[in-house]
Amino acid sequence: MEIDNESDDILRPMRCELNYLANPDGSVILSQGETVVVASIYGPADVRPQKVLSDRSYLEAIYRPNSGQSMVRDRERESFLKCTCESVVRTVTYPRTGVSVIVQEIQDFGGLLACAINAVCLALLNSGIEMNCVICAVSAMVSEDDEIIIDPDHIKLKTSKGRMTFSFENCENKIVNSYTEGTFTESQYHEALLRCKLLSGQIFKMFRNTVARYNKC
Amino acid sequence: MEVNVNDVVLPGDRVSSSNFSNLHKSSKILGPGLRLFEGQVYVSKGGVLKQNKLIFWVESQKKRYVPASDEFVIGIVTQKSGDYYKVDIGASELASLSYLSFEGATKKLRPDIKVGDALYTKVLTAKRDMEPELVCVDSHWKKGRLGFLNTNGFIFTCSLTLTQKLLSKNRPLEKMAENRKFEIAVGLNGRIWINADTEVVKPLINTILELELLSEEEINKNCSNIFSKNCKI
Repeated sequence: MEIDNESDDILRPMRCELNYLANPDGSVILSQGETVVVASIYGPADVRPQKVLSDRSYLEAIYRPNSGQSMVRDRERESFLKCTCESVVRTVTYPRTGVSVIVQEIQDFGGLLACAINAVCLALLNSGIEMNCVICAVSAMVSEDDEIIIDPDHIKLKTSKGRMTFSFENCENKIVNSYTEGTFTESQYHEALLRCKLLSGQIFKMFRNTVARYNKC
Repeated sequence: MEVNVNDVVLPGDRVSSSNFSNLHKSSKILGPGLRLFEGQVYVSKGGVLKQNKLIFWVESQKKRYVPASDEFVIGIVTQKSGDYYKVDIGASELASLSYLSFEGATKKLRPDIKVGDALYTKVLTAKRDMEPELVCVDSHWKKGRLGFLNTNGFIFTCSLTLTQKLLSKNRPLEKMAENRKFEIAVGLNGRIWINADTEVVKPLINTILELELLSEEEINKNCSNIFSKNCKI
């Protein structure tokens, strides 16, 4: 499959504010279109004695929905975020400590998981923790008439039959993980992957601009 | 992505080797936020890459203290256990401070330190696999400016970046002290202790917290103006 470097897909506008909360070591509020998420990081901090790891830091992720108790679906997101963070944070630099990643959903208008991953990454950058690389996530969907739409909102998602979220790292621009729901063909998956990958550069650029804005020298 | 000195960097960026080309091969020093991997230098923190002669580092935002040796910190005694005090310095675990590491202390003559006292101390050892160790004396066993902080003072916290800016070569604190009298101890763990007249304490804290988002140059230029303006309110 051939896709040229100039992609026609557009991401919904991303806006963020770092140091959004006073107490955590790193925090951010991020909006992608109308989807809004707050992420915060505590660490490297104290950890309960039974959870201490002698060779690396114990990483925990907590996902809070915007209303009600956290359900099975939220737990699934939690473990997905935890795996993602473990591949990014250099946990070996901080043995016998704990790092908590807390994500609070504010508004869900499509692409929530991608927004949460991007927010976590910005919060990690804000906390000054050692990281291997930066990651960003882009969501995509396959509509009922087999059309691939990148970064869909909640209205478009109503007509979707397959939904995907891809995360990429900035070192070699490789895929880190993908999360899929629904039905789609293999070629649709690969096409969505390539088109999302092309957009990841825009998000990394936005990360870089954000870091520049908060590190005036 | 390849980056150079004074660029904005993200974790995973590679520092281009042209930055090291005019240095002797084995002489560069990698500071915080940089790591060596397979002969290449990679960035591991988001911020701005800086260089001072042989030393390279990434200047970034930070709120949580990770102990490093030879840094001056403000700690609060939380426990007395045997020959050691346990001191909270804001790191992931408590630091230990031997009662013998005070000026003039002997086994019989222990320093008069109680739980809850604030101390200005120096980090002696900080290894990631070990508990950090503090001392209250310099290498000549003199206390210098280290030791017990007066209980009349007031301690508040700020980001680590701000404490580094306050202790920079431009000496912004000295400029602020030209008109008003105050006593201050800045710990690199993000704690600041102030002892001054009641009417100076509040404007001084406000001024310091206002400097948070300014760059080093702006602090140098404006700190005394901001302080005198805050004193008038």
